[in-house]
Amino acid sequence: MRDKPIFSPWLSLAPALTIVILLLGASLLYAIAESVGYISAIGQHEISLSAYRETLNLNSEFWTSLIFSLWISVASTIISAAVALTLAVWLSERSRNSDTFALNWNLAFPHLVWSVAILLFLSQSGLLARWAATLGIIQMPADFPVLVRDRFGIGIILSYLGKEIPFLTITILSVLRSQSIGFDVVAENLGANRWQRVRYVTIPQVLPALLAGSLIVFGFIFSSYEVPALLGVGYPRALPVLALRFFLDPDLRARSEGMVISLIITLIVTVVAVISLKIGERKEKDEG
Amino acid sequence: MKRIVFLFVTFALLLAACAPSAATVIQPAVATDQPATTASTLAAGEFDINNWESVLTSARGQTVNWYIWGGSDTINAFVDNFYGKALKEKYDITLNRVPVADTVDAVNQVLSEKQAGKDPGAVDLIWINGENFFTLKQADLLYKDWAQKIPNAKLVNWDNPAIKLDFGHPVDNQESPWSSAQFQFIYDSARTNADELPHSYADLKTWACEHPGRFTYVDPTGSGGFLGARFIKGALYELSGGAEQWLNFDQSLWDKNSPALGSYLNDLKLCLWRNGETYPKDESELVNLFANNEVDFSMTNDITGAGRWINDGRMPATARAFVFNQYMIGDFNYVAIPLNAPNKAAALVLANLLLEPELQAAQILPENGFGLGYAIDVTRVTDSAALSALQSAATKLGDSATPASDLAKSLVGDSAAEYQTLVEQGWSKFVLQK
Amino acid sequence: MKHFVTSKFRYILYLVLVAPLLLFIAYAFSTRWFFPQPFPIEWTMETFQHVFHDSQTIPSLAQGLWIASLVGLLSLILALPAARVLGLRKFRGRQLVWLLFFLPTIIPPLSVGMGLNILFLRVGLAGTIAGVVLAHIIPTLPYTIFTLSSAYARFDENYEFQALALGASPWHIFLNVTLRMMTPSLVVAALFAFLISWSQYLLTLLIGGGQVITLPILLFSAASGGNPSVIATLSLLFIAPPVLVIAVTARQLNQHGNQIREQY
Repeated sequence: MRDKPIFSPWLSLAPALTIVILLLGASLLYAIAESVGYISAIGQHEISLSAYRETLNLNSEFWTSLIFSLWISVASTIISAAVALTLAVWLSERSRNSDTFALNWNLAFPHLVWSVAILLFLSQSGLLARWAATLGIIQMPADFPVLVRDRFGIGIILSYLGKEIPFLTITILSVLRSQSIGFDVVAENLGANRWQRVRYVTIPQVLPALLAGSLIVFGFIFSSYEVPALLGVGYPRALPVLALRFFLDPDLRARSEGMVISLIITLIVTVVAVISLKIGERKEKDEG
Repeated sequence: MKRIVFLFVTFALLLAACAPSAATVIQPAVATDQPATTASTLAAGEFDINNWESVLTSARGQTVNWYIWGGSDTINAFVDNFYGKALKEKYDITLNRVPVADTVDAVNQVLSEKQAGKDPGAVDLIWINGENFFTLKQADLLYKDWAQKIPNAKLVNWDNPAIKLDFGHPVDNQESPWSSAQFQFIYDSARTNADELPHSYADLKTWACEHPGRFTYVDPTGSGGFLGARFIKGALYELSGGAEQWLNFDQSLWDKNSPALGSYLNDLKLCLWRNGETYPKDESELVNLFANNEVDFSMTNDITGAGRWINDGRMPATARAFVFNQYMIGDFNYVAIPLNAPNKAAALVLANLLLEPELQAAQILPENGFGLGYAIDVTRVTDSAALSALQSAATKLGDSATPASDLAKSLVGDSAAEYQTLVEQGWSKFVLQK
Repeated sequence: MKHFVTSKFRYILYLVLVAPLLLFIAYAFSTRWFFPQPFPIEWTMETFQHVFHDSQTIPSLAQGLWIASLVGLLSLILALPAARVLGLRKFRGRQLVWLLFFLPTIIPPLSVGMGLNILFLRVGLAGTIAGVVLAHIIPTLPYTIFTLSSAYARFDENYEFQALALGASPWHIFLNVTLRMMTPSLVVAALFAFLISWSQYLLTLLIGGGQVITLPILLFSAASGGNPSVIATLSLLFIAPPVLVIAVTARQLNQHGNQIREQY
């Protein structure tokens, strides 16, 4: 690495940085302006916190949606992490190239398409229900459990599991493969059984990566729109669905509330990302 | 040193990032004050609405941007195949069909163009009626004084109150009819006996609770909510004992009758599909539930009844349409031209084309996929070939449609547009979230 | 026996991963397939032809490809110089720059899109392809920068110095030495920028405002309750490019894939 650069690094960074700062900055600025009622599109220029009051009012739909969103994000994240950990440990012991390809294959299915698949497969008259009826397990579609467009967001969670389990599995697998297998062998030689090896060697190794990955997953799920919009019910709605509904309301004054919710989502996701970064940093330090 | 300079540059960038946004925040206030009609002063390609030849000349080579509800693939195909082709071949006009999930999106487009002072805008023609028409008309954003001046307007019975009034509001020459529709139910004759069908809202509740989970209706607040709202308004008519009184808006009338409506819907809710915790958002979704034996009834506005759906492979061939004895709401739907439409002449030609007798005959045939009824008055058609085409199309609707006499017997008009919002909000608050 | 069980489990895993594809094919090429028939009875190409003849399908396909290609190209052009500096130089503020480039991966497209919607309406970018491309670059840029900077970190600048010593022009060096050595990473970065853009729903909706129509927009509006055959057909069209890309880049993916997976 040379000490004296030919030209300053900032010149090379300028185009990309400008785009990011300009667009993100402007969108944030507009969001804040409209959240305090400064909506110039309808000539409303006085600043007020009424949208915040309205949103945070104890009777408002915001709280139901917040709880619903937290529920689907936390449940999806925890289940994904647990299944991914099991799968990764299992796969790492009998590694094959085709596994990675199979997991990467999942990349080809965007969340939207994966949700469509869930819809066609798991609805009460979907493919699985048809098979169950053919086998005589159920008589009518109503006998099939409600897995899609249900009050508890089961369809939403299932859809996320399909995407996030492969994601986390690959994350863990890549850690396991980059680590020397030495620890494992040492532990085995010291007489540790299989469970002990997983518990005391493998899990501590992958925990930071798993935790950081899980937080990314949480942030993503908490803030994404397509899946809950497609697989959710009219009430309760996930926070992003509620935010967009307000934003697109023909009555432009409703936009303020949409912006308030969007800012709250951003805030929560940012806090989670900072925690994730801190964990990543600590991990780097540990590895020294 | 160099680093400090570049830090300054970044700072400047940061400032630049804020400055234009701050500047533009103030700008639109100026833009909205601007008169939106600057483009309509005389210019090349100008036409006179009273001289149809000048409209045709001016429209030649234009592209007409038709904002149209895009939720049905068969309707989309009908529009492309029938109007798109005819426009190109007869008038050298290109049709750009812009599908919107909900007509309110097109209304918003026009409203936001107005706010941004954008003229000419993006929208030439909108498939519209009721509340959405009322919104644009009230905001003074529609092209005026044209609907009765296009040549085919003479085929329309403009004296008919159901055409002259759209959801109780005068059309005032600002929209031209395209087709007619009437609310009906659909059942599967292989599953349900015709003599067991309910014939009133009171019957329906009894039927639903004898067959729990086998009935649902379209979410009146969803993107295909007009159908659900129509179902609810029908109930309101029956509970209040008459349809006429709802033609003019009267808040106290609503206040008096809405509790009974709320309790009817909440009683019904207990017996609905999925206990009423979720509702299909449009007709198509209800059709899926019906065809897959999740519920026993579907709903439609089509004059062809179940015909269009059977043809598209979405319903079994045994599906049939039926109506209650009264309070089946029917109406006309229209097209309107925004004031800032960039291609008004082409939009006028298209609006006129929609009323051509041959195309009117084509639109009610189930196999063409549109399924809505006539906007023109068949008795005003003088051309004998066109007349016989119209009459024979009406007889080809088949078993899957409701008999014309049943439709006529139960027909009532829609209520004033203001009730639409009350129905939607009331339902959302007192039925859905309860 | 144990081997049998494990290999069986593995095949179940593989089956779960291909299942959506089979599901879409079954629905796309059948009609009048109602509950409780376990498999389609009537097979037909009609829906497929129908979808292709719809005046929306081909334009939205072409528009999506065009937007995604532009996004891929522009992301590369913007990312290359930045990634080089980040991969090869140490300078004050480097940490801050990393953080700034990290921001678009945190801030949800929902918030970005809602804010930009208003800005772009003001400056006339709303409803235009240029506006949509610009908006798509926000989520793609971090990934191209991260991919390329880690490639630059492994890059040996001495090749460039040698070429310089041998009298090659800077442009010549850039084309024949730098770009050539970076090719695999460039391909992966561009392809994933392409894919992120290709599958972007919310930003396209909020910036395109119904005027820029891509496949995800069509699919989303059909998806909840539309004709199942049409939904499946659109899904097949939608995943065709990603499937091709994944198949072609399978090897490189093992190195870079994971950085890009989320947001997609």
